[in-house]
Amino acid sequence: MQKPIRATVLLAVAVAVSAGLAAAAAGPSVTITSPSGGQKISARHTTYLALAGTASFATPAAGATRFYLRRDGCGTANDNPHLSVTSGTDGGDGCGLVLTIVGVGGTADQGAFVDYPSSDGMPLTLDASRPVTGTVDLESFGIADPLAAGTGLVTVSVSLEALDQGNGVPVGSDAETVLITPTQTEYPVAFTIHPNGALDRADLSGLDLRVHVEGPYAFSGFIGNSGKSFMDVPAWSASFDQSVAVSLDDPSFASAVPARLDGTTWSVAVPTPEVGKHTVYARATQGFDTGAAASLPFSVTK
Amino acid sequence: MKLGAALTAIVALLLVVAAGASGGTIVHRPIYMPDSSHVGDPALQPPPVCCVPVAPPVAGEPAPVNMAYFGGHVQVTPKIYLVLWGWGQPGAFDHTTPGMPANDPDGAAARMTAFIKAMGGTAWAGSQTQYYETVDGQNVHIQNPTNVFGGVWYDDTDPIHDNVSGLELAQEAQRAVAHFGITDLQNSQVVVAQPQRYNEAGFNSGAGYCAWHDFTQPQFYPGVQPGISFTNMPYVLNSGAGCGQNSVNGGFYAGRLDGFTIVMGHEIEETITDPGAEDVIDGVNLGAWYDYAAYENGDKCAWVGYTEGIAPASTVPGGLNNITGNDGRQYPVQSLWSNDSAGGAGYCAGAGDDLPATG
Repeated sequence: MQKPIRATVLLAVAVAVSAGLAAAAAGPSVTITSPSGGQKISARHTTYLALAGTASFATPAAGATRFYLRRDGCGTANDNPHLSVTSGTDGGDGCGLVLTIVGVGGTADQGAFVDYPSSDGMPLTLDASRPVTGTVDLESFGIADPLAAGTGLVTVSVSLEALDQGNGVPVGSDAETVLITPTQTEYPVAFTIHPNGALDRADLSGLDLRVHVEGPYAFSGFIGNSGKSFMDVPAWSASFDQSVAVSLDDPSFASAVPARLDGTTWSVAVPTPEVGKHTVYARATQGFDTGAAASLPFSVTK
Repeated sequence: MKLGAALTAIVALLLVVAAGASGGTIVHRPIYMPDSSHVGDPALQPPPVCCVPVAPPVAGEPAPVNMAYFGGHVQVTPKIYLVLWGWGQPGAFDHTTPGMPANDPDGAAARMTAFIKAMGGTAWAGSQTQYYETVDGQNVHIQNPTNVFGGVWYDDTDPIHDNVSGLELAQEAQRAVAHFGITDLQNSQVVVAQPQRYNEAGFNSGAGYCAWHDFTQPQFYPGVQPGISFTNMPYVLNSGAGCGQNSVNGGFYAGRLDGFTIVMGHEIEETITDPGAEDVIDGVNLGAWYDYAAYENGDKCAWVGYTEGIAPASTVPGGLNNITGNDGRQYPVQSLWSNDSAGGAGYCAGAGDDLPATG
């Protein structure tokens, strides 16, 4: 339901996005230091071949990502509520929840909610040691509106869900109440969610903020967009999940062997391949980001 | 066999005889699973067994009257083969998800694969062991082995396109039979799952169904190897809540894939108990278990309790619910008709929310 009467055009509010995640570092990288390029290895004296090298990963830094609650077209087939890291003027600004009208005014539908799934800003490495904070901007009719004016206690419930390894996992929730009066039309309702500790440092594929507005009076509960409603998610700038994989003679890494990481170096021993020319491939992965493979030729002699 | 079931079987057999005597032309159609808003759509009802008009089932409620045995084979030791046709072909999806494979950005293929591996040995699948085929006068019951997974094939070689036909799906099922080297067609079934952007024409058209299963016969699928039981499994997330999205699990992500296991489970279990899909060829009934209105074990319990979010479906006996697979994970399913439930009167069972008195 679109708020039918709007006295002013709501302009996008440019809110500074928290810094800290903007520096998208180049992908992880590796070098191969052993064997050396073109080295000849005696199969007779080398049962296992020692492979080693260096690895470089982005250092995770604490920050936050701001997601804006956005809608493309309230009450249309193109409504598309979503979270986005960019703000702008929303076609669905001032969109309200489905209301059950009972008598004058009415009560917001107990079951009505709106899901705002992330459309960008992912993946995100969650820092569950810090709270998720945000604002749901509530709008109502003021006394200037000729038909009615919002009044009463409204509850705003938010619940955050993450997509973690393909599964939906609850992050946390909050409920805040606000007293709507006829003299005011904008109510920024702040919320705080303490994240599920099990998700600390998890690399998330998606986030969904479910917003439920419930109250005794139908002429309030419209959610302001265009930059006015947002959520700040504590995050790390890079993943803590770091690995190096090694592959012999197969650049597709179909049968890759995981290497042992020790700071900035990696190592692994593999059975010495048969006599002949070979190529060792190595590549590093940080979170969902896999860097370019390094390769190095060597030979095995009798 | 209990008295009620016996009477039902007798009535059904009489109706079959009457149908044969009438000499009417039997119109072939696959056995549809209507979406939750088209349960009563006449166009989606199975071909009538006979001459008694029967009202379609009431949406959200079980369709009463027990099933009867019509003489065809069942899948005693079922093997289920999943074909992901074209999921890796260009344009198969319009989005990617960080951390998810490009050919499965929503995790639907992984979920379906895991479910087929996990369904064997569950009480849900076990509720169907009461049904049987009769061979040389002996009733051979359906078994509930732990491993019913035949294999999965990402077919990115044979081109798919949008609005594929039923014949093309049957042809893909035949290719799967060759790919997997299936020799025991009677106990095998092929689920042809389609990616987000390339689906079967009827599903795309909004005909009102989520999936269907069928049995290849030359009259209906010319040029296709006869005797293949296969399922048309569209990308049901395209139909949202109508095909089960969030019908059991409420979270946006947690319930997003609910429809895949509900719909596919419906078709798989129908195929196990009626692999011949009610076909009657030259007067010979190839179908196995369904009721006098031609509703199979899945049809009779489709969308029971589903209120599209107003109340959990599992609060209704036989309603949609999560079951625990043999891998310990939760999978949303619909219940299946059990002739033995409710003291032999029959009811929807197996989803963990059965009537208090189940058979």
